[in-house]
Order: sequence, then structure tokens, then C-alpha cells
Amino acid sequence: MNELITGLLQESISGIALGSIYALIALGFTLIYKASEVVNFAQGEVMMVGAYVNFFFVSYFSAMVGEINGWVFLLAFLGSIIFAVIFGIILDFIINRPLKDEPVFSIVMATISLAIILRALTALIAGPISLVPQSPFGGRIMEVGGVVVSYLDLSIILSAVVLMGIFFIFFNKTRWGIAMKATSEDSEAAQLMGIPVKKVYMIVWVFAAIVGVVSGILLAPRMSLLDTSMGFLGLKAFPAAILGGFGSIPGAVVGGIILGVIETVSMGTLSFHFSWIKEINDIIVWIVLIVVLMVRPDGLFGKAKVKRV
Amino acid sequence: MIKGRYADENLKWIPLIIMAVFALPFLIKSATFSYKYYLYVINMAGIYIILTVGLDLLSGFTGLISLGHAGFLAIGAYTSAILVDQVGLPFELSLIITPVIVGFFGLIIGFPALRIEGMYLALTTMGFGFIVKRMIIALRDWTGGSGGLQVSNATLLGMDVKSDWDNYFFIFTFTILAVAAGRRIIHSKLGRAFMAIRDSEHAAEASGVNIAKYKLIAFFISGIFAGLAGVLFAHTNNFISTDHFDILLSIYFYVMVLVGGMGSIYGAALGTLFIVLMENLFIPLFEDSLSQFIATEAGDLQALIFGLIMLLFIIFQPLGLYGMWLKMRIYWKVFPFNPRKRFT
Repeated sequence: MNELITGLLQESISGIALGSIYALIALGFTLIYKASEVVNFAQGEVMMVGAYVNFFFVSYFSAMVGEINGWVFLLAFLGSIIFAVIFGIILDFIINRPLKDEPVFSIVMATISLAIILRALTALIAGPISLVPQSPFGGRIMEVGGVVVSYLDLSIILSAVVLMGIFFIFFNKTRWGIAMKATSEDSEAAQLMGIPVKKVYMIVWVFAAIVGVVSGILLAPRMSLLDTSMGFLGLKAFPAAILGGFGSIPGAVVGGIILGVIETVSMGTLSFHFSWIKEINDIIVWIVLIVVLMVRPDGLFGKAKVKRV
Repeated sequence: MIKGRYADENLKWIPLIIMAVFALPFLIKSATFSYKYYLYVINMAGIYIILTVGLDLLSGFTGLISLGHAGFLAIGAYTSAILVDQVGLPFELSLIITPVIVGFFGLIIGFPALRIEGMYLALTTMGFGFIVKRMIIALRDWTGGSGGLQVSNATLLGMDVKSDWDNYFFIFTFTILAVAAGRRIIHSKLGRAFMAIRDSEHAAEASGVNIAKYKLIAFFISGIFAGLAGVLFAHTNNFISTDHFDILLSIYFYVMVLVGGMGSIYGAALGTLFIVLMENLFIPLFEDSLSQFIATEAGDLQALIFGLIMLLFIIFQPLGLYGMWLKMRIYWKVFPFNPRKRFT
């Protein structure tokens, strides 16, 4: 019995780490959705591109220095962030601007096509071989009462929480955050009030790209192999964003962590004890999602929208 | 004079088009030796047209998003395979029963659709696609799990439909029927109710359209079309596995409808034909000539071109191929006097 509980705890911890990854991707969705009601299907691919770019920077800088140390990772991280800013601006120009007056769904389809393009381009440029990314923390672990936590998982959880805090404060306290809220409410009225709507959209896409790239950098060492199928993880983050209620920043993080824990626990201990769970453990998040939506159509933290006629 | 039902439609082309459809294989056969492969590709397009017409009725006309149509196709294919090969029903009976069963699965997805909308619906249907795929693997006693399932040929009134040549006539009979049925539905009371719901749910409700009923009917009908496509898919492909019914396929179906033109039946058919031919005939040609210069894996370049076509269509031609055709027709109708504005 004791063994089962330790096992469950252990899996919960790694579930929280996995859930934090989902939460980071979901945060990317949420940011864009909050400002423009567009769901960015390419967020997972942005994450993948970020992981690839970071890998490229790490190998480039370490070849220059001759060894792999903390500075290399820091430099590579900064380089990836700069790349993310440029990438976000490009995405805003090719996806958001030309389609501003189209119905929301065609922008969504455009992001799907963007996802396809990004995946294909990455595969073409990087070649079909999977890469082995390096972790800045090596394999270092920490042990607390029989439960083992790796530094990598800790850093993932921490950065999810920190980013959530930053964006939560940003959206509720700062001028730009409130401008973004106003834009999502009614972009025309916002423009009339003197809010530079185009700039707001661009900043949101840049933020989403940064979040995507950061999650890619953190996730890559955890996957141990880096290839283009990493982008499909973005699909798994959708239930997280929806569970929390699209457009709610704490909701994205809580939803991500809930789903991560459910998935890891059902894959691990529970599937050893109940064989039928083994059959469904990779769709369990979707079942949870559909059940939740039947009960609460706007997610756990979402507010029901009143539609104007 | 009282106008007939078809008075506003130009029907004189229809028999010609049908004749052209049935003459096409003879044409291809006389033109090339590898006609079997071309027929195979066109057969695929014919099956997908049946499905995309159903998807168009659901998305283009009723405004409900579904990213789970590969799931419906899979249910249709597996149900028919099990009914015919394992239960032992005659194929003709399965051809009728299976679409109805898939229609009921459509109803199951339709119920949550009454409460949720927009992106939530898109993701719920996407989840449905994943669940179907997983369930097929879980029920491996009947479906053969992830290894796939061999399916017998279609037999129609004692005749064996076995070659691509036979399949062509078999499939396209149903394709023409499906397109005609789609046209009839949108010009009936049902279709008007669908379009009213799409344009404004509140206005439709205020005018006395029972929204819940018609949304469920839309899902049911879409399921029937997908089920029919599934039956044909299983019995003409002779082999089905879960790899055939990926989430990407659902998205591709959407692309087909979008490229053809959302909200027009002919558009859906045209878009499907365009995408399938593109994917199987033109891109491989292009890829062969390009592979001398860059080393690529098979699917990558194809996916890249695919994504680019989709993006360009969304940005520059949101009405799709059918919209282009309509614009062209208006252009020639008023030819010498066309106002500049109309063509932008």
C-alpha cells in the first residue's frame, strides 16, 4: 500500500512537470485568444521550432567555445528569445494582418496550414534525423522523502508558474495589458479610444512566440529525442486550455497541470493495477475534456459569454 | 407561369456532366497504359467527395465545425467490414445499414454540439476522432487492432466488384447520387433551416426554426454521407487500418471543402477533386524533379506545398474555387460593361 502511495506521489510530481509543459503551450493559446479570439493551432509547432533553434544555437556556441557550459546555454537561450521576437512579428504579418477582417474561423484554418508548413519546413531544413538535445542541468536530481525530482522538472514547473504570474499581472495591472483586454472585447471601440490595435496584436503574437519557444527549450531535453513530431504535443495542450476555460490565464495553468497529472498517473501505477486503463490512457485527456464540456460548456474558469444579437 | 422547382437552375449541363463522368475511364484507358493508377486515385476522390459533401452540409451550410470526420469514415469502414465479413450480412444490406449506424454516431456527437460552439466544438469533435481511433485498437478482437483488417470485395446482386475499373463505375454512381442528394437537401425546407441557423441562430429561433432539432439532423445527415463513404472505402481498398484515419485526414477534408468553397455542394466536390489529384498526381511529379537537388523525405515537400496552397487560398481566395468560377461567370455575363469593382 505504502509502495502504491509513493508511486502515485512520484507520478504526480512528474505529472505536474508534464502538465506545466501543457500549461505553457496553453498559455500561448490563451494569450492570442485573449486579444483576438483566434485559436492558434500552430502553437505546438512554434514550440518545436523553438526547440530546434535552441539546439542549433547550443551546438553553434559550444563548437565556438569548445566545451558545453552554463554560459553556452544562457547565450543560446538569449539567442532563442531574440529569434522568438522576430518569429512572432513575422507570424503577425503573414497570418494576422491579411486576415484581420475575415471570419475568425478562416484565421484558425490559416494557423492550421501554418502548422503544416512549419512542420514540413523544419523537416526539410533539419533533415529527417532525430537530434539529441542537451540539458543544462545534466541528470541532476533531488530526493525528498523517497520521491525523486529532477532539476529539469523543477525548472519547468517554476517557469510555468513564473510566466503565469507575469502574464496575470501584465493583463490586470499594466496599461498595455488593459489595452489588450479592451481590444479583445471590441477592437473597433478600442481603436476609437486610441488604442493602437495593430501594435497590440503584434505584441500578443510576439508574447505567444516567446512562450512557445521557452516551452520548446524546456521540453526538448525531457523528450530525450527531438524530431518534428514534437509539434503534435500542441494538440494535447488544447484540452488543457479548454478545461481551464479559453482565455483565462490561471485556468490554462491549472487545466494543464490537472491533465498532466491525470495522464501520468493513469499511464503509470493505475495501468499496472487496472488493465482496462492501459487501453485508453492516451485518450483519457479527451474523455475528461468531453465530460467537462458537457457539464460546464465554458470550462472550469471561463465565463459564459452573453451574445449580442 | 408558375416556376418549377428547378426553374432557377441551369439543368441542361447535368446529363452532359454525368456522361462525361462515365466516359472518363475509357478516355484515360485509351490515353495511357498506367490507367489503373489514375483510376485508383480518381476513385479515392470519388469516395472523399461523398464525405466532403456531407461535411459541407454540416459546416458550410449549418455552420457547425467538425474536425472528427475521419472518425466517422473509420466507423463506417470498420462497421461495414465487420458486418459483411464477420456477421455475414450481404453487402447490399450493409450498404444501407452502415450509413444509418454512422448517422447515429453523428447524433451522439450532435448532443454536446447543442451546448457548445465554435472552437470548443472543433476540439470536441477532434477528441472524438482520437477516441474512435483508440477504440478501434482496443476492440482488437473484431477490428484486428493496429495491424489492420482485410476486407472482402463488394458484391452487388451477385456481381463481384473487384478491379479499379469496376470500382470506378460503382463509386461514381454513388458520388453522383450524393452530390444530387446534397443539392436537393439545400434547396428544401431542411436546407433553408440549416442556412438560417448558420446566418444567425437567434434570428432563426425567432422565426420558428427548432435549432436543436435541425442541428441534430445536420449531424445525422453528415454521418450518413460519411458512413456511405466509409463503406465504399473499406470494400474498394480491401484493407483498412487505423493509419488511414488520422487526425490529419480530418483536417484535409476541411481543406478540401475550404479550397472548393464553403457553402456550395459543387464547390466541395471540386475542391476534393483538386486536392486529391494535386496530392497524388502533380506533387509527386514535381517532387521527383526536385529531389535531384535537395534530399527530402517523401511526405515533407508534399506537406509544405499543401500547407502553402491552403494558406494562399485562405488569404487571397476565401470563397474557394467555386467562388472563382462565380466571379468569372459574372465577369463574362456583363462582359463589355463590367465595373472594375466587381472583379476585385
